[in-house]
Amino acid sequence: MSNDDLFAAAYREHYWAVSRYVARRLQGRADEVEEVVAEVFTVAWRRRADLPATPLPWLYGVARNCLANAVRGYGRRRRLVDRLGNDEAAHGRHIEAGPDTEAPGAWVHEALDRLSPADREVLRLAAWEELGPEEIAVALGCGSRAAAMRLHRARHRLRAEIDRIRPMTAAEPAKHPAPAVVPASADAGLCKDHRHG
Amino acid sequence: MADELELLRRANPVPADSPALGDGPLDRRAEQGLQRLLHGEPPRPRSGLSPEADSSRPRGGLSPEGDPSRARGGLLPEGDSPRARGGLLPEFDSPRRRTRLLPGRRPALPLRRPHVERPPRRIRLLPAPPGRTPRARLLWGLAATVVVLVIAVDAVLGGPSTSPAVAAPRPLTVHLQSRPVPLEEMIALADAATADHAPGLRKGTHVQSWSVALRDDERPVTLPEERVVRWRADGSHTELVMATDPRRPGRPVLTDDGDEPREVADGHVVSRTTYPPMWSDAPPEGTPPHTAAALRAYLTEVVRPGRHRGTAPLSTPELLEAVGELLDHWTLGARESAALVRLLARADGLRPAGEVTDRLGRPGHAYEYQRAGIRRLLILEPRTGAVLGMEDTATEDDPEYGVRAGDLMQYRAWMR
Repeated sequence: MSNDDLFAAAYREHYWAVSRYVARRLQGRADEVEEVVAEVFTVAWRRRADLPATPLPWLYGVARNCLANAVRGYGRRRRLVDRLGNDEAAHGRHIEAGPDTEAPGAWVHEALDRLSPADREVLRLAAWEELGPEEIAVALGCGSRAAAMRLHRARHRLRAEIDRIRPMTAAEPAKHPAPAVVPASADAGLCKDHRHG
Repeated sequence: MADELELLRRANPVPADSPALGDGPLDRRAEQGLQRLLHGEPPRPRSGLSPEADSSRPRGGLSPEGDPSRARGGLLPEGDSPRARGGLLPEFDSPRRRTRLLPGRRPALPLRRPHVERPPRRIRLLPAPPGRTPRARLLWGLAATVVVLVIAVDAVLGGPSTSPAVAAPRPLTVHLQSRPVPLEEMIALADAATADHAPGLRKGTHVQSWSVALRDDERPVTLPEERVVRWRADGSHTELVMATDPRRPGRPVLTDDGDEPREVADGHVVSRTTYPPMWSDAPPEGTPPHTAAALRAYLTEVVRPGRHRGTAPLSTPELLEAVGELLDHWTLGARESAALVRLLARADGLRPAGEVTDRLGRPGHAYEYQRAGIRRLLILEPRTGAVLGMEDTATEDDPEYGVRAGDLMQYRAWMR
């Protein structure tokens, strides 16, 4: 197969995986996803001679750099978009349960957000893209041992942040000793208290 | 409790079986993108004005009423996908529930990516993630306030009536022969201003701002606006954003609200939003303290929100960045302003520059911090030390974005 054929096959096979990768990191900016993905594959097209046999982690690496560009566009709208996110949560769209329940969400994101960008990315690659250390190494452009070490350390730090958040969320039921009768909206407010201003 | 990776896995915001982005055959636009790459077709014009763009699904924000875009994702079913409606590849079609990630109360923000055929050299301009280095932080602070818009030139610059709106404001100039007032002197003034009926702390902000909107290889366009955030006793708040330019009251103003930058009347309401009650103790949402030491800790948390804040003292770029964040959330009282002046007085490299008249015509003392191609000017009220404004000016050319040394990059002017 020619490089063009290999590229086309990778494109068809991984277009949506790359789209998800981008969407996960552009939360609240869904409209930019398609454009960033187009940029990812344009860059990949130029570098198609470098396309490895297992292209997806490599494509994630390209996407990571393209996303770094997208950050620039965050710009002046950052606060407004942040508020959109707050508003979403306040309306219950992203209401999540505490750490002892089955559906963690926002509070895990909060713990994640407290980590460094490098930690966040290695954790996302492991948890959301479900990459192993070898693949993470390709996506991050580092050695596999370094990737494994980064993941190991990042997991520890995430654990620490989760533990740090946990007492706060665990303390909430004390205010409402009968959670079964607390309206859903009240629960939502309690969850939100720790996340938003 | 499950291990941390499993918890994170469950919190995946876009799972592999996502209705909008789950695996499957390419949709029409993705297929077109591939064909463009394979066969060298010219890229779709970014203005969205081509017949092709008209007939295919719109990019985000350009045509809210247009056909659904799979890539726009989301949580709200909005009808059939292009594939289900018989696109170019009907054999691949399968209805997918479209969802929307953003609330639908205003059109999606039209952030446009630069031309896809451009080489990725723009990466060199990117700051490192915040918190890496002081230089990176300063660049980040700039980059985080810069909007990249790729727009049809004629839409903005074509009409003669638009030229006043796109003219960038000039950096503030320090009055000749004015005496630079050391920050140490301002401490006493600020302390004195806390007596009697001094203004108190108030949550919310009132700010006029202007941000450069960088365009590839073009001169920047201006985006002036005024924002008023007011909080109520029940924890809810309202935000009003208006297009207005203090330099030209009553004249049309350029705004990027909606689809493309366009002119609107002075005072045009860009958005008016009421937010339900929300609370947080975390800076900058939490109440700022009024002692210097506590305020330093507070501001450190603003710029180093992670647990590992380190023990390094707040650098001057960090301090200035945090001050901007603080004032975008709070209108400081005299006591908080006095504490802030004490912190500023200890900031390395922040030197008095002299007197200025700020964007709103107010007299002020300017303090300058220069680093990494950017000069940041902080303006303090001369009698109370309250921060009136902050602005950034490029000190080096950046031909790629049409930025020249001396160009104003952004300003913010806070009011009570």
